[in-house]
Amino acid sequence: MQLAFQASGFFCIAVLGGILLMLLWNSIAFFTDVPLFFFLSGTVWQPENQQYGILSLLVSTLLVTIGAMAMAIPIGIGTALYLAEYALPVLRNWLKPAVEMLAAIPSVVIGFIGIVVINPAIMAIAKTSNGLNALNGSVLLATMALPTIITVAEDAIRAVPQAFREASYGLGASKWATLQKIVVPAAYPGMIAAIMLGIGRAIGETMTVLMATGNAIAFPKGMLSSVRTITANIAIEMGEVPFFSTHYYGLFATALVLFIISFAVNFAAEKVTAHIRKFQI
Amino acid sequence: MIRKLFCWLCSLVMLSCKNNTSQLIIKGSDTEVNLMVLLAEAYWQQHPKWQVSVSGGGSGVGIVALLNGRADIANSSRPMNAKEQALFQRYGVACDTFIFAEDAIAIIAHATNPIDSLTVEQLQAIFSGQLRNWQSLNGNHLKINLYGRPNNSGTHAWLQKKLGISFCKHVLEMNGNAQIVEAIKLDQSGLGYVSAGYVVKNYQQTGEGFKILRIAAKGQAACSPLDKEAVEQQKYYLLRPLYQYIRRESAQKAQPFIEFIKSPAGEEILLANGYFLVRNDSAK
Repeated sequence: MQLAFQASGFFCIAVLGGILLMLLWNSIAFFTDVPLFFFLSGTVWQPENQQYGILSLLVSTLLVTIGAMAMAIPIGIGTALYLAEYALPVLRNWLKPAVEMLAAIPSVVIGFIGIVVINPAIMAIAKTSNGLNALNGSVLLATMALPTIITVAEDAIRAVPQAFREASYGLGASKWATLQKIVVPAAYPGMIAAIMLGIGRAIGETMTVLMATGNAIAFPKGMLSSVRTITANIAIEMGEVPFFSTHYYGLFATALVLFIISFAVNFAAEKVTAHIRKFQI
Repeated sequence: MIRKLFCWLCSLVMLSCKNNTSQLIIKGSDTEVNLMVLLAEAYWQQHPKWQVSVSGGGSGVGIVALLNGRADIANSSRPMNAKEQALFQRYGVACDTFIFAEDAIAIIAHATNPIDSLTVEQLQAIFSGQLRNWQSLNGNHLKINLYGRPNNSGTHAWLQKKLGISFCKHVLEMNGNAQIVEAIKLDQSGLGYVSAGYVVKNYQQTGEGFKILRIAAKGQAACSPLDKEAVEQQKYYLLRPLYQYIRRESAQKAQPFIEFIKSPAGEEILLANGYFLVRNDSAK
């Protein structure tokens, strides 16, 4: 039986290694055609004109992700603090599963909401004629990252030993001062991990951004420009790319970039979570 | 018990293999997939022993499936390109071309847009990004928002080629005709291209928040893709043939279906869905 578990463990690692190898292999094939420098510094992605610059796709991805985090972090951390410190147990038992339910909504449905609800809303508020842009994608991705951020951050806050709080109260500190000076610093690494996981969730999302951000390949000028993220670009073009062409290999190269980013984010999250464990006595 | 089940499964698999001889597999263009399903259903009612399976995925997907022998007929909203032709030659796969209908591309704008028609030159300037403001066209100082299909779409490839331009980078790429129409309905300064067949079938006519512009080719009067007579006389500029590529090995299987499309019953379905019949002199 142990052998079976061991085998399944090795199988997972083999799959990961296989994917990485395939990405690398195809990317190398791409970089023999297109120099790495042009790939990383080019702003135009137009395979039909042999232009393979990832910069505008990369900036679009980062723009949408940063926008999403600007919304999701304050709301997510605030909700987590409320749930862990202030909410009555009865309320908390209702709220937490409700928040987790958000994660169960399929991304296509969220994308659809982006088209029919957020799109007209942005048009009305920002007085623009087009609401399918980076801001729309950010709002949707923030919604999708919230459950991850709230759940992980709340666990981190609750993991702060009760003795810390009691010691603080014993010294005469108020609830707010305790929260600010004791609980948040103690739970800090866990909150960072929560945010990192949220970023990981947002950066790899495909369907939602594909539906809501307009997918123009122009270099983004701001949150109100239509953007095309790396994930959306792969989803759009993979369907009809001639196999084993430069374009085909190029899509793997963009996938490799995406893999490196989300790997770095998850790795960083892993590092800080390891740090929290040291924190608890 | 399990063995019994296994036997059952085996016989099922064998039966389905046997059925393959009277199965016709059609793959390709998403634009044509709805039409093809209707044709296949009508065909099946006349010839119940034929099982016709239709699936989409895009023109290129259909052509690749034809090459690999996973389809008998590939639907395509664009002609085969040089690379694909080279592949067919290299693998020694022969196929026949059949233009079964024509589809018009409609250029649509918001209902409140004062403009009613555009010339081909204006379209070229707008979609290539030279002209980015409505001012010189209708007096409104507004940026032109362009809506189109992504580059895996036959419509995208075809229009780009027909206009002889490269689409500018600001064109929003939407997942299908429906999204373009809905976006244009909301966007006062929007301009987009959709299949006329789609608009006719789903909206009957304009006046529901968007309008179809008339297009004027060089030195000709502007005409609308809804004007059947003009379209049939090839006066509408954005008219494209819809192709079917038939694998030669499957020619015999496909023949009755092709005959059906050409029959009055088939033509009726084409017309009812907003497509146009191919005139002999228009075969390109």
